[in-house]
Amino acid sequence: MSETLRTAAVGRIRRGALQVGDAAHAASPTPRARKRGRGRQRLEIALLTSPAIIVFVGLVIFPVVLAAYYGFYKWQGYGPPTDWVGLGNYKIIFTDPAFQQALEHNGLIVVLSLVIQGPLAILLALLLNQKIRGRALIRVLIFVPYVISEVIVGTGFSLMLQVTGAVNDALHSIGLGFLATDWLADPNIALWTLMGIITWKYIGFAVILMLAGLQSIPDELSEAARIDGASYWQVQRHITLPLLGPTIRIWAFLSIIGALQLFDLVYIIWGQYISGTAGTSTMATYMALNGRLAGNYGYGSAVAVVMFLVSLVVALFYQRFVLRRDLRGAVTQGVN
Amino acid sequence: MMKKTPAAAIAALGLGVVLAAAACSSGGGSSNGGNSSSSTSSVTMTFWTNATPGPGLTFFQNAVKSFDTAHPGVTIKMQNVQNEDYDGKLQTALASNSAPDIFFQRGGGKMLAMVNANQVAPLTLTTADQANVSAAALAGETLNGKIYAIPMDQQPEGIYYSKDLFKQAGITSTPTIIPELEADVAKLKAINVAPIAVGAKDAWPAAHWYYNFALRECSQATMNAAGTTLKFTDPCWTKAGDDLAAFLKVNPFQQGFLTTAAQVGAGSSAGLVANHKAGMELMGAWDPGTIASLTPNQKPLPDLGWFPFPAVPGGAGDPSAMMGGIDGYSLSPNAPKEAFQFLEFLVSTPQQKAYATAFITLPVNKAAQSVVTDSVSVSALQALNKAGYTMQFLDTQYGQNVGNALNAAVVNLLAGKGTVAGIVSSATEAAAKG
Amino acid sequence: MSAATSGAPSLRARPAKRTDKPQKWGNPGIYFIAFLLISASVGPVVYIVLGGFRTNSQITVSPAGLPNPWVFSNYVGVLKSGTFWSEFSNSTIVGLVTTVGVVVLGVMVSYALARYEFKLKGAMYSLFAAGLMFPLVVAITPLFIIIKDLGLIDSLMGIIIPQIAFGLPTTVIILTPFLRAIPKDIEEAAAIDGTSRLGFFFRMAIPLAMPGVITVAILAFIGSWNNYILPLYVLNSQVHYTLPLGVQQFSSQYSQDTARVLAFTSLSMMPALIFFSIFQRRIVGGLTGAVKG
Repeated sequence: MSETLRTAAVGRIRRGALQVGDAAHAASPTPRARKRGRGRQRLEIALLTSPAIIVFVGLVIFPVVLAAYYGFYKWQGYGPPTDWVGLGNYKIIFTDPAFQQALEHNGLIVVLSLVIQGPLAILLALLLNQKIRGRALIRVLIFVPYVISEVIVGTGFSLMLQVTGAVNDALHSIGLGFLATDWLADPNIALWTLMGIITWKYIGFAVILMLAGLQSIPDELSEAARIDGASYWQVQRHITLPLLGPTIRIWAFLSIIGALQLFDLVYIIWGQYISGTAGTSTMATYMALNGRLAGNYGYGSAVAVVMFLVSLVVALFYQRFVLRRDLRGAVTQGVN
Repeated sequence: MMKKTPAAAIAALGLGVVLAAAACSSGGGSSNGGNSSSSTSSVTMTFWTNATPGPGLTFFQNAVKSFDTAHPGVTIKMQNVQNEDYDGKLQTALASNSAPDIFFQRGGGKMLAMVNANQVAPLTLTTADQANVSAAALAGETLNGKIYAIPMDQQPEGIYYSKDLFKQAGITSTPTIIPELEADVAKLKAINVAPIAVGAKDAWPAAHWYYNFALRECSQATMNAAGTTLKFTDPCWTKAGDDLAAFLKVNPFQQGFLTTAAQVGAGSSAGLVANHKAGMELMGAWDPGTIASLTPNQKPLPDLGWFPFPAVPGGAGDPSAMMGGIDGYSLSPNAPKEAFQFLEFLVSTPQQKAYATAFITLPVNKAAQSVVTDSVSVSALQALNKAGYTMQFLDTQYGQNVGNALNAAVVNLLAGKGTVAGIVSSATEAAAKG
Repeated sequence: MSAATSGAPSLRARPAKRTDKPQKWGNPGIYFIAFLLISASVGPVVYIVLGGFRTNSQITVSPAGLPNPWVFSNYVGVLKSGTFWSEFSNSTIVGLVTTVGVVVLGVMVSYALARYEFKLKGAMYSLFAAGLMFPLVVAITPLFIIIKDLGLIDSLMGIIIPQIAFGLPTTVIILTPFLRAIPKDIEEAAAIDGTSRLGFFFRMAIPLAMPGVITVAILAFIGSWNNYILPLYVLNSQVHYTLPLGVQQFSSQYSQDTARVLAFTSLSMMPALIFFSIFQRRIVGGLTGAVKG
């Protein structure tokens, strides 16, 4: 694939928004033909975009708006909302220690996911990036956890991590019995157990992404550096990692958003009520417990809006300060 | 030609998706209750139950079949929803007007919320119906003088225990006061058996310990008042919490209780008792049936015994008072008249007899109570008849919002993360959110 | 770089570089680490699959052991049950239709965003990107009411259409760069030859962006197959259940029968695994393309 092509495309995906009005146009037609062309172009755009826009706005955006509306009421879910409380729900949310704890847990999960999975994925990708036999099979197998539904993951791990379950039993049988503990119920350990399960499920995805990024780095670069006398680790540090930067940043973005919205795993393993006690509650489980399960649809909608805003702020912040670097970074100019 | 076809193709594609959506939606749409066709043309009704698969669910399947056969043109579509998912699903269905015609009703504050929202139909019972249902049970389903559900059984709560394990541990008589219970806990520990099983993962089993302490500490008037004001300022509530905290000091529960479910699986609290891994558990009268489905041979546990929740010395509550639930079935306002006929059918004596046998529980139909012969249920029934007064399970009584908060707060206390004061304040905070 | 003539072939030549008919055996250390990684990844899956071959007493007595003896009745029982197959077919139908819908709508919108110039382009793209912030679990209550108002409760369409909607953000984000990466030169050459923009769309853009399209299709299918919360609230009658719902219901129905639950669970994940293994090359290739541009 040509260098300039890749460069240009890389630049575009980094920005996450589109450049308007780039690239040369063909020789301009007559004004009348241009107008007809533009009208026709608008029709094409409308045809191409309207089905997706209708479905998306109706079923994704509109519920957001509805949730914001309901969030201003105390509402039990039946009939139209009538008990206006303005920002009252939001005040309760931010002063509720249970929500603060949930937010803390989300924050911990975000940071731990990045810190644990990132370096691990890069190391593993470096290892597996060799053109060795069986590479394809290895890649398939490590991606397996990502493909399995969270319901199955949750059910399976619940069974395995019981006090009398397979994990403790296996530990006993290889002589590490002192490590056997109550993986799910001990508030001191439960969050780490959750991190373990999350890492298990998503590390394969991270490795595949990193591998893809590694493959776009030309071998000539590291070879040249080696010829100049650089050690393996120096090569990785000064050449590979920076060039892997865009991939890392994309993966980190997906990872952060996913961690903020974590729900299914916690819900399946710890159930509806006790994730707070176990120290694994998230904003989403808090919302389910205090909203829908309690019949407080107004309050629950307010929590949903808070979750949305938190994710949005993080995403905007990330796009502005982290991804933007790639625009004027070494990537677009160095590889050519 | 080349310029026209792509645009047409795209339009066709987009149109196709929309048409497909419309076509499929008309096929799948109305599964709700508005099917009351006037005359003898076919009537279809939806029926939701939380019965666990086993003899209980089979009972309902047979009942539906019998009713359908006896009423040609009427079809009942039954749906069993797992107990822990039930309230959420029902709420969502009720909130969006696609409620089932006939549905399981827990009563109390939860029913009150539905009544306020006009989601449940008032019922008019004939004298024949009233002969079939005990007055006390009916009273539990009455609000503001109107009856909103037909009760099917009464579920007094008490402690189910394994007589064999007690004998093994050297316990000669069942405890009547809490200190005796604590002593028994120590004896069971000595023979390496988990003294008390509790399914704290579902929160309510743990909370029922608090509720029963409250039953012993608070007067009936206080508890009823709290239902209307949703304020828990009377000191008896805190006293009950202190009692629970003191009881917890003897470590009565099984290891890993925080992630033990109540009824699901061999590892649940019911399963532990069924397999003699735990000595006892505090449960309502449905428990013998649940335990029976979890024993190795899936037959009722032969050495199962029952005693009422022990008295708390000095408590303001009547020591004979019992906490219990009433399982009932309600109708949604749009349900056809055949739905009510189904309820009448369910509460008739032959059906109630089958119900009691299937669920191993106490039917509301006095004539059907003759099939209750197992010693466990007989003990429970006798205690119920002698009780000074009965109280609905508090998490039902006080409604889903406050009930859930109380449940979660009690679990926090059990796990060592919450305080007694936290239990009371959680109820207040929950009231503020709803 | 040589323009129109080498544009298409060079893109098609890309897979050749990626093809690893690899040459040599690697360092045993690498294989060892790979082995550890694979065991960790696949271990729990193996546990679930093997668990179905045991009896409950085996599981209670020796939780981490191997089947001894191997018991087939659990798997046979599940394979014979009508419930499993009806849920399987529901999941399949929902998955396929969702995938088609997501791909068709997504490609159309991404193409417009990638290759047309219009004023609202940036805003439209941001609109879809913002959808990532609002997952299904958060939107479920108002969404449920909308689905009900459309008359789609307890129908498969009530699952499919929201899934299409919620699948669009990822799709647009992945496909737009792919479609954008097709050199303008090709498009101009095609225009000179008399092809309309839409003709270019069908005849050249889609084939060239195929890796991205397939990635998106696979992600959509897997996402739909594993979706739990939406069917939990929208579907009431068991005949309409999809597999994740079925797994949860089965595990509560036969709760005491851990082995049978494991058998059901493992059979439920087989389709996704098989599907993935058939298409794994495309997935990796697609992700590669998305990252590289």
